[in-house]
Amino acid sequence: MTKTKIIKKWHFLLLMIIAMNFIACSSNDENTGASLQDGKSIVINDLAGDTGAAMGDATEGKVQRSFHTFLFRFSDQKQIWLHTKADSLQYMKTADWDLAFTGPYNSEVFVNNAKYQYNPGYEGAAQNTAVVLLNETYQNVTQAPADSEFDNSEITKIGWSSSESSPGWFYYSLSSHIMQAIPDRTYAIRLPNGKYAKLQLINAYKGNPPAVTDLNWPAPYFTFRYYVQADGSKSLNTK
Amino acid sequence: MKNISTFNSIKKIITGFIVLFFSIAQAQSNNAISGLIHHSENPLSHAKIVVEPSDKSAISDSKGYFSFSGLTNGAYTIRITIMGFKDYIQEITLNGQAVKPLHIQMESGIDLKEVNVTSRSTVKNNPETLVNAQYSAMPVTIIDRKTIELMGSRRLDEILKEQTGIAIVNNISGGARSVGVQMQGFGSEYIMVLIDGQPMVGRNNGNFDLSRISVSNIERIEIIKGASSSLYGSEALGGTINIITRHGVVDPQMQASLSYGSLNIIDATLEGETPFLQNKGTANIAANYYRTDGYNTNSKYIQGTTSPPYDNYSLQGRSRYQVNESSFLGLSGRYGLRRSFMQKDFGLGHISGDNQDEQDLNLSVSFDHRFNSNFRSITKYYLTYYSADMSVAWQQNNSAVSQDVFKQTLHRAEQQFSYSNNNSYQLVAGIGGSIENMNDNALAGVNSLETFFSYVQGEWTPFQKLKTVGGLRYDYTNNFGGRLNPSFGLQYFITPKITFKAGIGTGFKAPDFKTNYLVFYNPSSNYLVVGNAVLSPTLQQLQQDGQISEIRQYILNQTAGNLQAEKSTSYNAGLVLEPSKTFKIEGSVFYHKITNQINSIQVATGTNNRIIYTYQNLPEAVNKGFELALKFSPLKNMEISAGYQYLIAKDLSVKDSIRAGKWPYSQNIHDPATGNSYAPRPSDYWGIENRSRHMANTSVFYRYDPWKINANVRVNFRGKYPFGDRNGNQFIDKYDIFVKDYFLTNASLEKQLLKEHLSIRFTADNIFNYTDPLMPGQPGRILLLGISYRFFKDKEN
Repeated sequence: MTKTKIIKKWHFLLLMIIAMNFIACSSNDENTGASLQDGKSIVINDLAGDTGAAMGDATEGKVQRSFHTFLFRFSDQKQIWLHTKADSLQYMKTADWDLAFTGPYNSEVFVNNAKYQYNPGYEGAAQNTAVVLLNETYQNVTQAPADSEFDNSEITKIGWSSSESSPGWFYYSLSSHIMQAIPDRTYAIRLPNGKYAKLQLINAYKGNPPAVTDLNWPAPYFTFRYYVQADGSKSLNTK
Repeated sequence: MKNISTFNSIKKIITGFIVLFFSIAQAQSNNAISGLIHHSENPLSHAKIVVEPSDKSAISDSKGYFSFSGLTNGAYTIRITIMGFKDYIQEITLNGQAVKPLHIQMESGIDLKEVNVTSRSTVKNNPETLVNAQYSAMPVTIIDRKTIELMGSRRLDEILKEQTGIAIVNNISGGARSVGVQMQGFGSEYIMVLIDGQPMVGRNNGNFDLSRISVSNIERIEIIKGASSSLYGSEALGGTINIITRHGVVDPQMQASLSYGSLNIIDATLEGETPFLQNKGTANIAANYYRTDGYNTNSKYIQGTTSPPYDNYSLQGRSRYQVNESSFLGLSGRYGLRRSFMQKDFGLGHISGDNQDEQDLNLSVSFDHRFNSNFRSITKYYLTYYSADMSVAWQQNNSAVSQDVFKQTLHRAEQQFSYSNNNSYQLVAGIGGSIENMNDNALAGVNSLETFFSYVQGEWTPFQKLKTVGGLRYDYTNNFGGRLNPSFGLQYFITPKITFKAGIGTGFKAPDFKTNYLVFYNPSSNYLVVGNAVLSPTLQQLQQDGQISEIRQYILNQTAGNLQAEKSTSYNAGLVLEPSKTFKIEGSVFYHKITNQINSIQVATGTNNRIIYTYQNLPEAVNKGFELALKFSPLKNMEISAGYQYLIAKDLSVKDSIRAGKWPYSQNIHDPATGNSYAPRPSDYWGIENRSRHMANTSVFYRYDPWKINANVRVNFRGKYPFGDRNGNQFIDKYDIFVKDYFLTNASLEKQLLKEHLSIRFTADNIFNYTDPLMPGQPGRILLLGISYRFFKDKEN
């Protein structure tokens, strides 16, 4: 009598436990890469920045130098390194590039511009370029702003968003020491060739992980996407 | 050279065990205790008499008589329990001379057991300290040796994460090895870890990695949830975990055990205990070796391990010697060494090598003297040392990412007195001091930390239905000043089946070396952190060197040299219901208020846009919630228990900042699904990172005596909790990164053979192999097979 009771109780318990587990037995595995493709935009995955630069004060085995800047051209996705002075002289003052990745971890991004003195394209060919920050998700930006907005924009550098007025693309947390792209920041750009584009900077960590779980996750490896309206109009619809 | 000395010490240990083995056969058992139990002249039968620390127990006969024989010399505690009466406790020392029969008068009332959720046996106090968890105004959970053995866990973190309201959390910002314990919403930096009542040191970013500690030689774990600085001083701001090592040898015995299984885990223990020198002394020694391959929870992005592989060696010993009839000398020591090398391959030849060598030493000497049966003194000295040699390097170009050698030493001396008037009140008072030194490459201008403390603790039963505990402790720290921490708790026995409990306590944590003296520059992110105490001179120096573009004078004036201790106040109240001997249910609410939490704030901007931070106090954070515990024994030898915790942990300054529209809190929140955005409201604040709203556990322990089989199944649930901020507004809202809720199921099966000398155990942890990349430290399924053999003299009865 009692024995069957015990068995019944055990069975019930076991069933309960098993049921509870099957309900919840799936791991976190978001696939972020797939959702970036929309058929129109160009998605750049893991574009390596300068991974050889010094990262610490007192570290052995590394030459302490600042990060090398690289340039990026939208039309053919070409990455142009400025390793030497000759490189700089050859490319900086031309209209042959659209973005420059500068500063620590190549995280400070400039749009080629001749007017701002710290822009790599200063006194170069890109006379009429500008950036406008739109606090919208990338896919919801369907139209470039009016030219007057571009003309009045004071955005020079897109980097660490460390203050309210900063148009930066990422936030660096002092508690976790991890940089995180701010969602819903889309940059509308008037390019050196006069065409309009939109840009979303997505990640600086290798593999574009949904969350960085290691302090030493390799960086900078840029994931970003952009769309250039080839016909010169302001339509930026990528849906 | 090193190998030879290691070999020699191993030889010594082996010799020690051999000596011990022989002494097992020779032990003397010649003492007897007997007595009569009464209640107002009537004898009480069926009272249960337990003699601790022996395993002997007896039931009084119809005349109230009981007797024990075959006890070796030593100090014992006799505990008598009987339904409807208060527990009777008496300490007795046996030294070969005949003891007069005891005459025991029982007082009516129900037993005054502590909150005792997991323990199956009575509370044994640590003989080397008079400050005990019994004086805590905050709830105490006790996990005893039997439970630990039955669970089949190997490391301390594995035991604790199965307790209600306790979680083991990885601190990503502290590196891959920064793992700590969280309790009722308090982070690891606020939980003090003690060994035999003495604080353990060695933290990584405030986190104490409990996997450093093997459970093999633990007698009992006492957990206090809530502010307990009135018992243990600074650091016990949110609670304490006190590990009581094996002690109180009665019969010589020895145990060897070995487990092996998944992840190439090896857990090998050799331990022994014996009386010595005509039973005037007792000694216990244990050696443990543990290794694991580590585990990877993020194989999509990382090859290698996310939870480190390591080899751990530990040696532990404890001895007590009776100097004369009323004095004991105690000696205990523990040494741990952990070597770990962890590789991670992030693809494209990015292989990081993360090396850590840790050493850990705890030594203590105590002198215990009883002036008379009521008045007792313990004089103690304690030394602990911790060192960690850590480095992370990229292997393909042999370049170091970080490198640090960290050393911490603590000396502590204490004098304790206790006075008790049998069952009506007990009083403990003490005075002491400590000197602490820390060496770290990144610290500037560090002096040693000197602390002085003094306290009074007590327990008082003014009348039968009411028991009260209270304490007052004063701590003085040289770089911070003094602080007084009171606590008060009571238990009111409304009926024999219903008890009401309430308590209030305070806690504090003096600012540590880092927040005061650290000067750290991160060149990759171009920021500088300056410790509060060295802020003004450092900024002055930087200004002279032309490296400052702006100083936020208001913040500088407010913060510099003005870092306050972090403080907490805990309130707890609850009911215990015991409708029958086999059913117990407890519920309690808790409210912890933490003020002056230390956090970073920007104080200046350097040239080249360098941001300069220092540490400041934040106004207030609150952890509140409730806990439920249930214990039920439907059959003999079967125990079902369940626990639940509901928790809300919020930083009130975040709410204020949202309300005030302060950047970056004021940024619009975007719904990623729709792309809609809206201005944040205080109600959008979810709570502090890593805290789950819901946590629950349930377990069944069963022993089938005819087959000598012990089995248990445990299920632990942890509700979803925030991992980190995704949208840059510096607070957690529902669109941030969360760790999904999950269940972990563990089970263990043990079969005892050869008159309980031999046991074979099968352990399965995380049976359903649940892992999450956001939980780097939680391995998948682990299956282990273990065998252990105990050498002991078979009991006569």
